[in-house]
Amino acid sequence: MKKILYVWWVHVSLILIVFTDSAWAYLDPGAGSMILQILLGGVAGVVVILKLYWRRFTGYFRRDSAEDSGRSVPHDQET
Amino acid sequence: MNVPKPLPGSFRDPSGQVYQRNGRIFRTVNESFSHNFAFVRSTGLFQQLADRNLILPFTDVAPDVLQASGLPAACVLEAPTLPFISFPYEWPFSALKAAALLHVRIHLEALKVGVTLSDASAYNIQFQGAEPVFIDHLSFRPYRQGEIWAGHRQFCEQFLNPLLLQALCGIAHNAWYRGSQEGITTEEIRRLLKWRHCCQWNILTHIVLQDFFQKSATADRSVQGPSLSTASFPLASFQRMLQSLADWIEQLTPKTGGHSPWKHYTATCRYSPAETDRKKRFILKFVQHLQPGLLWDVGCNSGEFSEAALEAGARYVVGFDSDQGALEAGYARAREKGLKFQALFMDAANPSPSQGWNGEERPGLQARASADAVLALALVHHLAIANNVPLVQVMDWLIGLAPHGVIEFIPKNDPMVKTLLQHRDDIFPDYTWEYFCQCLHRRAVIVHTETVSESGRVMVWFRRLAVETA
Repeated sequence: MKKILYVWWVHVSLILIVFTDSAWAYLDPGAGSMILQILLGGVAGVVVILKLYWRRFTGYFRRDSAEDSGRSVPHDQET
Repeated sequence: MNVPKPLPGSFRDPSGQVYQRNGRIFRTVNESFSHNFAFVRSTGLFQQLADRNLILPFTDVAPDVLQASGLPAACVLEAPTLPFISFPYEWPFSALKAAALLHVRIHLEALKVGVTLSDASAYNIQFQGAEPVFIDHLSFRPYRQGEIWAGHRQFCEQFLNPLLLQALCGIAHNAWYRGSQEGITTEEIRRLLKWRHCCQWNILTHIVLQDFFQKSATADRSVQGPSLSTASFPLASFQRMLQSLADWIEQLTPKTGGHSPWKHYTATCRYSPAETDRKKRFILKFVQHLQPGLLWDVGCNSGEFSEAALEAGARYVVGFDSDQGALEAGYARAREKGLKFQALFMDAANPSPSQGWNGEERPGLQARASADAVLALALVHHLAIANNVPLVQVMDWLIGLAPHGVIEFIPKNDPMVKTLLQHRDDIFPDYTWEYFCQCLHRRAVIVHTETVSESGRVMVWFRRLAVETA
């Protein structure tokens, strides 16, 4: 359970890193800060996180094949 | 083609750079950012903030003023030069607090007109006396509805956490901040906090949760996720967060706990009122004669003599001291009276070095030495006896700071020096008035002296020699 929760947070944060438009930003906002803001954003933010949790929870059991294919995500911008 | 070079500290932001030429300060706005800059300017925000002295005003200049051919600049702005540049690790607690509140206030004003700040660097703020002023015009850009506050992490590291270090743990931020350059990380401050601190909502969110989410998010980067188009940080939530940060920071105060040697200086000071008056009259005469544009008061304590120098005609005074209590008193004095006096943290035996990228991003104290005059009152014995610095080096250093100055010599029989030697051997046979004068004459001439106390304290007005002798 601990590992599932751990992987969940990793997925949420990576979503935010991939999604964020860094066209103007030389600054790394920090994944922890971004996740905090999503949660503090109100009910809508909590609902989004819960939806992601469900998709990630079910996706976890299919994750092994994705890892073997060697997909990777770009690193976030450094400050 | 002679392309000008930006200042060493101006390289991180691709929107534009800062240049100095002939004593004037210019900022270029690169083509890639010109559209955003034009939008922000059209909102009237710059003018509104400049009218309230929250941001430096600027004017447009022709690029050839900067000889900017070859630079990718859509336009060139000129801003007024500041009397003295200082850095967050030199600010006392109350100055860093004022800077934090300024940043939040400006951000709230900007959001009202559809503008946000792209970062939250404490180096975007400078001081004029005790008043902070925002200097980075290119930090402003259009706000996109629902976007995350990109500067939140940086705000915590460079403003909030250093303040909490002092407010909750009683540890001054200066030495740590000087070493790290970028403030204190949320993980580091969290490790120092006690459980009872973490029950507070603001600490639970901005410190504990942020650290937890950061740790869990950075452990594994090898997995890809879907888009998150519905995620947002609503504007109202953003504004509430900023306001709650401001309300929280407003009530932070330094946790002193321990004894500050200078906290009750006026009560324990061994100068009688008559002696203090004699010192002030000496400084009055010196300043009235010289009318310095910039005066440094090294070992300024609570700023009493800095204030006297301003009253006598000095245009701007920068005071340095290593005691936090004295600096707080000095900052409060400047703020309450609207003085052109800036109290900064500095240990004279360990002044700020040039550091940062390439060792020149943040110029050290010596590199910023441009004072017209220097005061060194009740300082020499601290360096020569408490810090074991040879007297000749102390004098060389002081005289090197400015072409004119006043140094106070305190003899060994004075109670202040006796206190320093109370628990140690007297290994300072050269600490005498005669040797003091001999050291001074290596690089300067004495213009005037006056004994100001019964114990034999002497105020010495010097003028540095134009051609220095070895």
